[in-house]
This record gives sequence, structure tokens and C-alpha cells, in this order.
Amino acid sequence: MPALEGIFTRYKKPVFNFALRFLANRAEAEDVASDVFFAVMSGKYHYTPKAKFSTWLFTVTRNACISRIRNSKKFFSLWFKSEEGDDQQMQLPDHNTLPAPDELIKKEQSVFIERALAHLPLGQREAIILKEFQDMSYEEIAKVLNCSLSNVKILIFRGRENLRREIKTSGLEELR
Amino acid sequence: MTDHQIWKQLLSAYFDDELSPEEKDTVNNHLIDCPACQKYLKELQSLSLNVKALKNEPLSPDLEQRLNNLNRTRTEGSTMQKTNFMNFLKTATPVVVVLFLAIFSIQMYSKRAMQARVRDASQYTPTQTLALGTTKQYQPYYESSNYSGRLRSAADDIGTQYNAGHTNIKKEMRAKEAAVDSMGVYAFQLKQLAEKETRAHSNMPSSVVVNGSAAMFASRTKSDENKVNWKDTATINYQRENYALKLQRGMINPAEKDYDSKTRSADEGYLQSQGYGIDKYPYAPIQIHESNTEQYDLINENEFLQVTENPLSTFSIDVDTASYANVRRFLNNTQMPPRDAVRIEEMINYFKYNYATPSWNQPFSINLEHGICPWNPAHQLVLVGLQGKELSARQTPISNLVFLIDVSGSMNSADKLPLLKESMKLMVQQLRPEERVSLVVYAGNAGLVLDSTPAHNKGLIMAAIDNLQAGGSTAGGQGIELAYAIAKKNFIHNGNNRVILATDGDFNVGVSSDSALVQMIEEKRKDNIFLTVLGFGTGNYQDGKMEKLANKGNGNYFYIDSINEGKKVLVDELGSTLIAIAKDVKIQIEFNPNAVKAYRLIGYENRKLAKEDFNDDTKDAGELGAGHTVTALYEIVPAGSWESTGGNVDPLKYQKQTSIKSSFTINKEMMTVKLRYKEPKSNTSKLITKILTQPTNTTNQRWFGASDNLQFASAVAEFGMLLRDSKFKANSSYTAIIQRAQMSAYTDPQNHKAEFISLVQKAASLDQRQPQSQVFQDPHQNYPVPTQGEGGYNQK
Repeated sequence: MPALEGIFTRYKKPVFNFALRFLANRAEAEDVASDVFFAVMSGKYHYTPKAKFSTWLFTVTRNACISRIRNSKKFFSLWFKSEEGDDQQMQLPDHNTLPAPDELIKKEQSVFIERALAHLPLGQREAIILKEFQDMSYEEIAKVLNCSLSNVKILIFRGRENLRREIKTSGLEELR
Repeated sequence: MTDHQIWKQLLSAYFDDELSPEEKDTVNNHLIDCPACQKYLKELQSLSLNVKALKNEPLSPDLEQRLNNLNRTRTEGSTMQKTNFMNFLKTATPVVVVLFLAIFSIQMYSKRAMQARVRDASQYTPTQTLALGTTKQYQPYYESSNYSGRLRSAADDIGTQYNAGHTNIKKEMRAKEAAVDSMGVYAFQLKQLAEKETRAHSNMPSSVVVNGSAAMFASRTKSDENKVNWKDTATINYQRENYALKLQRGMINPAEKDYDSKTRSADEGYLQSQGYGIDKYPYAPIQIHESNTEQYDLINENEFLQVTENPLSTFSIDVDTASYANVRRFLNNTQMPPRDAVRIEEMINYFKYNYATPSWNQPFSINLEHGICPWNPAHQLVLVGLQGKELSARQTPISNLVFLIDVSGSMNSADKLPLLKESMKLMVQQLRPEERVSLVVYAGNAGLVLDSTPAHNKGLIMAAIDNLQAGGSTAGGQGIELAYAIAKKNFIHNGNNRVILATDGDFNVGVSSDSALVQMIEEKRKDNIFLTVLGFGTGNYQDGKMEKLANKGNGNYFYIDSINEGKKVLVDELGSTLIAIAKDVKIQIEFNPNAVKAYRLIGYENRKLAKEDFNDDTKDAGELGAGHTVTALYEIVPAGSWESTGGNVDPLKYQKQTSIKSSFTINKEMMTVKLRYKEPKSNTSKLITKILTQPTNTTNQRWFGASDNLQFASAVAEFGMLLRDSKFKANSSYTAIIQRAQMSAYTDPQNHKAEFISLVQKAASLDQRQPQSQVFQDPHQNYPVPTQGEGGYNQK
């Protein structure tokens, strides 16, 4: 079935990455991605051609992510502290030590932005991801997020403001 | 101030081209006058670029596999039928129940309704006289006032309820059933959709003519063009970068025909100045099939070589075992390993064979053996085995070990740094008091954690090991430099001076290009400091690079996937892993055309040497550790075979065929094995020669005449060929491998044989590439071999 294969090859990366940025956890994102494709394959949700297929697929992915977050909040361990917070803490380099190669700086920057992105409130993060990575129009985003157009506008604006502020305060002002 | 806030909000939408035309005009006008807003817009641009520049994370091989499996089961359709049936059951059960209830209630309803009407009629008394001219409509019995609540029967309720919705429910059910039954229709729907999407994508880059001298991407998308109206160079540059990034992420197709050379060079110039690698994109074809980031170097399998044309086969020994452990990791995760992760020689050498102990004056013994090739009975198999000398504890040189440990963030998972720490602790326990250990770590920077410490101070070493933590990025180059410097500073004369590099292979930040790194290590090799590479982890594993490093650094390379493997490498084989008894060991074999028509070296693809290299002492080759065994297998086409092996080459016109010497003594020989090695400290090589004579009696031709070594080694080789899906696998089969491995009396204390057999079983259940019993049809040989069923060699 080449058409389905096409869907796999085209969307597996975007879907996985969307989930990854959404959940900021690789294992969970992987689960979500395979769940989504399984659901689509087995016809659990029917696609009705009201919107673009990608819009619909991201809606499904988003819902899967949200229910994943909900489920994970139901259970938490009393004995083992979650170490994730510590793990994700990247050490930002001292600027006055040796001049690092350009590549290194770029990598640090991207790590930093990634973290700033992960710190955004959920709605803003979603909107920014859909806008910047998937290049969706506001209308499509509104469909995926199930909110009004003006709401999307504000979400994206606030998301950008927050990102800007975070970057400014970190001293990483001179980006690129 | 609030005014400004509104402008900002507008600008954000303006930037995304989501404003109405009037709003756009207002913003355009405002922008001309307001430098603050211009600045803000530029910030938005740089922010957007920076966010876009975040890399798309690749899918892990595990996820890839899961999705592939999904896809496969889908295409096979077997599970689909099953789910169909299950769905049918799920929907059919309520339908049956509903129908049943409906029929029952209809019966009840009609019965009760009849009774009620009869009762109503008997109780009806006209209490009101009708006024003239008015009509009283008949009121249905159940709406009459005296037919409320109390009198309404349950059956009536059921009746109305189901009567009303009855047909609808049924219709819905039927529609759903039909949809589920004909999954084909659904798939068709999806297919149409995918086609539509592809069409939309391919149409996307439409050529847009842009006025002005500014170089623009002719194939830039429409939406991009519109994105920002307010034009200046910064905007154009933004569009360029945005376009490059989009191409990189595979979001658009470059339509090259619309792209003239002048604008292309202008764009290229700009992008290059911004640090975009132009060779990669924007013109690179979009890669759709990115499998994962584990990297394996391509292995081109050795072919059959004609003895008359290539009488000499030269290669360097390889004592690495990493490939087997890596394959094991894949199989235990229920995945087939990638083809190039399987290096057959490393699989064979994972096992220790029982060879003759070396004589007193030589560092190793040479063992030669000959038998029928089990996967192709028309061929023969020759085994060349080396057994390194065991050293007694008193003889073993004193170790000066420098651990070079990758503590980058990527090492922070249970199968990496913690595993390494445990393995190291086990090893430190075994060290003799005068031996020395130092620890160098590298991540963002390289640093010395523990200066060279004698092993009688075990507590200090242990504490330092315990304190190791992962975090930061990786720069392998500086770390190696530092480690070699420390090894040199504490150099022990006549000792075992060694750098042990432990990493998951992510080296690529900072100075180190592959070749620069290798060059550096080649330089350090001259100081008689050896390199051992320990590979860890999954997902981002750089197999090819690590093997290359170990090859160049006079070293060996292991993959550690469990604490058992850590123990095997660092504790049990401490002697052999860490102490070289011979270096630059090269093997050259001359085949006798009277006995051999063609030959093929199994494995050792990246260890092949040119025939001149054999006598050239400056050429580097593998080293042999104390107690190591090294095994190589040749598949041989015997002389007189009518098989064509040399490919289709016309006979030479101007040269005579090289004359073949023939005499009674020579004819008896099959091949001559020459071996060169250097003592660990020496720079001149020594030569050993041994001759394999042709088997005289026919019993040797039978497989059961073969030794346990040959039987087991051939089973491992066959397994490797199946995993690689080699074109020379002939009628190899998993069942034959298991039979032969069980048959051979090969034993080892750690019971690696049982593990091997279980791995073969796992692979047999995972491998979907070939049916189990396959009639031998090798496309490279143009005659049919009579097959005697599976494992035909052991019949008769």
C-alpha cells in the first residue's frame, strides 16, 4: 500500500518531533508517535476531509499527547524522585574561558533555545511549534488547538515575547 | 506604551502574513517612520530563524522498527483480517442485542396497547358537552390526563423509545459495519488524500517574478514571498535563510528549472557567508529514508578471487569482538542488526578456540585445517587459527592505564556511564599494587580527574570512579591529547602503557574531524602507547569511527552491552586485552593453483592489505594479546571444479598465461601460510611459514571429520552471512547452524555457546528476508548444484 507508506515516510518525523517538543521526553514521544500511527492505521479515528490531512493528524497527535500528560499525572512515585529536571540542565559555558569554535556556540544556542521553548506555557508552546516547525497558517493552528483565530494570534505573540525575554535575560543576546 | 504593545502584536501577525490588506498597509506605513518597530521586526526574524534552526530529532532505530512493523502488518493484511473480525464482533454483539430487545418490546407494546385501548374505551365517559362550532380532537390515550405516570407501562416507554430511533440506529450500525468491512475503501480514502497532498507539495514552489535588482529565490514559495512586504536586504536575507532551512527540513522541493545561475550564485554567496554548508543544501535531494544516527561503515564483501590471477591473499589480523556484542544487543531487543553492523571476523573471534599451545620460542602457534564447506558442498573451507601465548602472572608487564572517559550528556543512561563505572571497579580490584591508573574525562573541556595513582591506593581510585558524572557536550580531540600526554609522563618501561577510551562515539563537536583524529592517533602510536576503545550505548552509536580509531592506534575495540561483557573484557581478559605479545601481525597466503581454483576470505573486509605491504615493516597491522585466538576462514573452490569464478574476462592476447609449477612435492601442497609479526618493542618483523598439504584420503572430505573448532567457527561464519544477507550464503540456514553448533563439542567456561545458539534462534524468528529452506540458486554461478536437502553435508 504505497499511499500509506507515503503517509508514514512523510509524517513520521514531524509527528514524532511535535510530540517530542510537546512532551520533552523521548520515550513518551516515541510511544505517542507509534500510538498515533497505530490509531490512524487501524482506523480508530476516521479522517473526514473537512481539513487538511496534516491538520487532522496533528490534532490527533496533540490529543494523544494531552491524554498522555494526564495519565502520567495520575501516577507519581513517592520513592523515586524524578531526575528529569536535573538531567535536562545543560551547563552553559562560561563566556570568559577559551574561545570555543563557532559550531560549539551554535550548538549551545540551540540547546538554550530548545530549553526556553520547553519552558513556555503549553498553549504558547504548541502554537509556536506549529507555526515555526510545521509552517501552518493561523487558521490551521486554530483548528488543531480548537480555539479562535484571535486567540492563536495572541498565543503566538505572547510565546514570542516570552522567548525573547528569556533570551535577553540569559545574556545570549547576540544570536547569530 | 499600550499603543506600542498593540503595534507589537500586529507586527507578530504581520510577520506571519496573517493580516488583512488594510491592516497590512497601516503597518507598512508605520514601519517606515518607526525605527523601534523596524528593530522589533528584525528581532522577530532572527528569533524565528533561531527556532527554525533547531534540528529535527531523528527517530531512534527502535521507533523506526516499531513503525515499520506497523506498516508491515498492515500491508500483509493478516492482522488486518483479524482486526476486521474483532471489529465485526464488537459491533455485531450490540446489534444483535438491540434487535432482540426491539422485537421483544414491539410484541409487548402491541399487546399492552391493545389492553390499554380496550380499558380506556370502557372507562370513557363524556363529562363535557361540546360547544357549538368547536371540535374536540381525539387525544391519544397516552397523552390523556388520566393516563399519566401511574398508568404508563414500562413497555410503552421501551416501545416509544426504540420505535422512534430504531431505524436510525440500525442504519448507523450498518454503515459502520460496511466501513469496517471494507477497509479497502478507507485505505482508498487515505490514498487519495496522500496523492492530493503530494500534488500540493510539488506545486508549491511556483516561480514568482520579483522586481528590483535584489536576488530572490525564483522557486521560493508564494507564502514566503508574501510573508513580509517591507523590503530591505535584511528581509531578503531572512527569506533566503528561511528557504534554506525549509529545504533542509525537507519541507519543500527545490524546483531547479526555475532557478537561474546568477541568482543561485548570489544566494549561495550569502548563505555561505552565514555558515550554511552549501554542498549539502539547498540543492541536495531531500532525504526521506533517514534510518537512524547509529553509524556503520559500509562493508563490501570479499569476492571469489581466481588463484591464477591473485595467488596471494594478504590481511592483517583482527582481535576485536565488538560486532558480536553489538549484534547481540540488537537481537535481544528483537531487532535484526543493520547489515553493516555485522563484521563476520569479529563474530568468529568472539569465541576462543582450542588450538595448540605455542612452542617456547614463538609468541603464538599457527593452526591450519581443511574441510567441506557446509553451506555449499561443492566448496571447501580452510581455517587459519592463531593462538597467542598465555603469560603467567609473573611475566605480565606492569600496566600503566589511562582511562579517557566521555562524560558528555549523552553518556547519562544506565547502559553507559554507570555500566562503565561498575566494570571499572571490577577491574581495579584485580590490579596489582604497583600498577597505575589515571582518569581523564572529556565533555565540553577535557580534564584530569585522577592523576596517575598506584593501585595499592584502591580507595582513592574507587572514590574518583564514583564521582564521575555525565553532563555537557563532547570534544574528543582535546581529551585524547591529554590522555596520551599523561600516559607518556608516567611511561613504564617494558610495561603495558595504554589509553582506554570509553565513549558512545559522539565525537563531533570541536576540533576533531575524523581524519584529523586518526592522524593524531597514528602519531601517538610511535610512542609505544596502545589504545583500547570501549563502546557503549544505543541510538547514536558511531561504530565505524570507533573501529577506525582502534585500528589506527595499535588497539582493540570492544562493545560493552552488559556488566557480563564488561567483566569479560576488563577482568577475565585483562591479560589478553591489555597486554600485546606481538604487534603488526600480518598474514599472507599463497594458494597453489594445482589444488585451488578460487578462494574467498570470509570477513576481514576492512583489514585487507596489498601484497607489497606484507614485507613492508612500516605498514601498520593488528596486534595480538596474550592468550588471544584469531581465526580466519577461507571458502575455496577446488581445482578442477567446472564452476566459473573469475567473472567474464577474455583471455589475454599479448601475454602468456603464467606458467604453473608442477612437481610431485608441490602438487601435494594446498597453500603456504606466511606470517609476519613484531615483538611489542621491536621495529623489525619476523617471519613464520607453514604449509597446508592436500588431504589425501576421502574421509577428510566428510564434514564429520572436521574438528570442533572448524565446525563451530563455520557455524558462526554462516550465522554472520545470514545476518548480512550475504550473496555467498548459498544454502545456509538457521536450523543447520543450530544443528552444527550443538553437534560440535566446542566448550567454553562462560557458556558462550548456549548464548550463541539462543541468538541464532532469535534471529531465525526475526528474519523475514528469506524463507527457511531455500533451494540453492546463486546468481553468480551458472550451474545448478544438486542439493541434498537441508544440511546435506551431514547425510551419508
